[in-house]
Amino acid sequence: MRNLNLKFLRSAEQSLLGGMALASLTAACIWLVLGPAPEIADYLIAVVLLFALFLASLIVMHLVGNSRREMEAALVSRASAELQAIQALRASEAQWKEVFEHNPVMYFMVDADGIVLSVNTFGAAQLGYRVDELRGQSVLKVFFEADRDAVRQSVEICLANIGQPHNWEIRKVRKDGSTLWVRENAKAVRRQDNRLIVLVACEDITERKEAENALRQSGNYLAEAQRLSRTGSFGWRLVTGEIIWSDETFRIFGYDKAPSVALDMVIQRIHPDDRAGAQQTIDQASSDGKDFDHEYRLLMPDGTVKYVHATAHAVTDASGSIEFVGAVTDVTARRQAEEKLQQAQAELAHVTRVTALGELAASIAHEVNQPLAAVVANAAAAQRWLNRDTPDLQEARSALLSIVDDGNRAGEVIQRVRGLVSKNTDPKVPLDTNEIVNEVIALLHRELFSHRISLRTELAPALGPVLGDRIQLQQVILNLIINGIEAMQPVTDRPRELVIRTQQEDTHQILVAVTDCGVGLATENANRVFDAFFSTKSGGMGMGLSICRSIVESHGGRLSACGNGGPGATFQFGLPMHLEDQTP
Amino acid sequence: MTGRSTSPRNTASQDEPIIYVVDDDASVREALRNLFRSVGLRVEVFGSGSEFLDSRHPDVAGCLILDIRLPRLSGLDFQVELAKTGIHIPIIFMTGHGDIPMTVRAMKAGAVDFLTKPFRDQDMLDAVTAAIERDRTSRNEARILADLHAHFATLTAREREIMTLVTSGLMNKQIAAEIGIAEITVKIHRGQIMRKMAAKSLADLVKMAQALDLQRAAPRQ
Repeated sequence: MRNLNLKFLRSAEQSLLGGMALASLTAACIWLVLGPAPEIADYLIAVVLLFALFLASLIVMHLVGNSRREMEAALVSRASAELQAIQALRASEAQWKEVFEHNPVMYFMVDADGIVLSVNTFGAAQLGYRVDELRGQSVLKVFFEADRDAVRQSVEICLANIGQPHNWEIRKVRKDGSTLWVRENAKAVRRQDNRLIVLVACEDITERKEAENALRQSGNYLAEAQRLSRTGSFGWRLVTGEIIWSDETFRIFGYDKAPSVALDMVIQRIHPDDRAGAQQTIDQASSDGKDFDHEYRLLMPDGTVKYVHATAHAVTDASGSIEFVGAVTDVTARRQAEEKLQQAQAELAHVTRVTALGELAASIAHEVNQPLAAVVANAAAAQRWLNRDTPDLQEARSALLSIVDDGNRAGEVIQRVRGLVSKNTDPKVPLDTNEIVNEVIALLHRELFSHRISLRTELAPALGPVLGDRIQLQQVILNLIINGIEAMQPVTDRPRELVIRTQQEDTHQILVAVTDCGVGLATENANRVFDAFFSTKSGGMGMGLSICRSIVESHGGRLSACGNGGPGATFQFGLPMHLEDQTP
Repeated sequence: MTGRSTSPRNTASQDEPIIYVVDDDASVREALRNLFRSVGLRVEVFGSGSEFLDSRHPDVAGCLILDIRLPRLSGLDFQVELAKTGIHIPIIFMTGHGDIPMTVRAMKAGAVDFLTKPFRDQDMLDAVTAAIERDRTSRNEARILADLHAHFATLTAREREIMTLVTSGLMNKQIAAEIGIAEITVKIHRGQIMRKMAAKSLADLVKMAQALDLQRAAPRQ
């Protein structure tokens, strides 16, 4: 307070006012002294006036002092506030500058011509430049040549839409030539000086971009792999019935890509003959939610048929609902190749069959000649019975009956031979193995006989059926018997005996074994005998056993050879038994 | 299956020739049986060579029809077997086609004919007729020889000696000198020989001697 008082006293205004009051007082005094002597009253008035003036001066002085004090206080506080504000502004500026310079975002300010007006340190550093290396340069410097048009266009757009933010993703090139992917946010603004500038903030998205690229590439690889392997993938959520297909799956089913797939679309494409089976698989999978594996045909709108193999794995998610994740493979090419292979094999089998029959021609001719001789003799006899003076009708009738029997017998032989010569293969049907063996033996009686071979058959009664092609199985047995006959050709010191056995092994397979007592099988040849073109015989083509093996294998069986304990060899094959509930 | 039936029409004569058929094929042998019966021939059929051997064969003319390919004992082996057991019967072979080596073997071993199945009935009947005729002839010859042997067996040792010398062309005088008896005695023996051998002439007797294969012993010095 004391200070304030001192200040108050020292204040210039106060001095001025005080001075003015003193001057007025002095002037009044001088006027009183030197002026015409006033009347008392006047004198008094003057004194009073002077006094009043003095008082007024004092009051005014006081008032002026007060207001000045207030003003001074206000001024002082305003100055300090201004100081604080400036300090705050400076701090803020420094802070923002810090943010601007080092925020991990690249900031560019470019003019309408694309010249960099400013860039933050981080931005320059990210590109491998110093700030001063970029400032004043065209911003295109940091873009690839190929992308520059795109950059120009983007800037054009910004300039055309002032104040509107735009963003895009683009590559930038560093000083050292390496690439940087950025997402640019830009907007054009008009500066106070009326110049248009573009503010650009760039975010480094290289990592994301690389991840994206890797993902895309991996997706591409997958799509390419699916395309090449003709394998499409699918997902099938049981609860919602939602089905998702990969591009390849759409291609396989011949549909345009669509966001969702209905089960009906699948069913519609399935070949009518396979629809029931496929539906059954689908129903089964829906009800028990277990992995499935199914092969079926598709009938495409253009009439072509595709073979597809679908396999799916059931996955249970956290909520317990089941989703099938699976693959559909177009196996048409494989199926066609298989069919062609089968056809080639059938043709080869046919050739070897005919060749084998050629070797048996003499024996077979004999088989036909026997009944023919009987027919001729009986016919001649019948004629003579009838030509008698009293025709013997009973004898003639009996002769004619014999002719019918023998004619049929000759016919059967020819039919059997024709069957074996036939190129067609029969569809697989349940067959009695013993019957097949006996049919072949019927053709080979003479052959065995002329080689002085005695045949022993040990056929197990009541064998279960096997599913097979009669002619092909006959061919196998025929081949094995002929082999046995040939193997015994050099044998002179012991009886030549060929044994054919059939046997049922538990409930699964039927075994057929042909045992000879011939030259036997050298151990090193035991497996090679089944190789194509392998023959120990000078005249052999070496296809017989190879064909036999493929025939047996195509029936789901196995053909093997082994030496006997004594002389000779045994060739044996097993065929799986046909169970009634299996569909052929 | 191998029943031996003869045609009822032919049972009457026991001298009727018999045709034997051996074939393992029942329908062939039955057809043959039928064929032969229809022409009135006696026929017996067998399924194998051993069945034939085991049966009894009346002493009448006949022939054997044999399939060349028989199980176990083939037709050719059976042919040899028959020869060994002294059964002489004409054999007609039946064969399938293409058995030329076998044919040659069979013919060499004395088969009378060869027929390829299927054969024409007439060929078979002709072959059978010829074979029976042949058997009949050979049986006649055999019977004549047997008679001759029987007659010869009734001669005394002296008579056989004299017959040998007579048929070798010696005069009675020479014979008498040779064996040291009277010429008249030779004459008496000679008369006996002619009667016992039922020879009508000396030429007849010479033929008989040839058939009997009489040979003059080396002259004693």
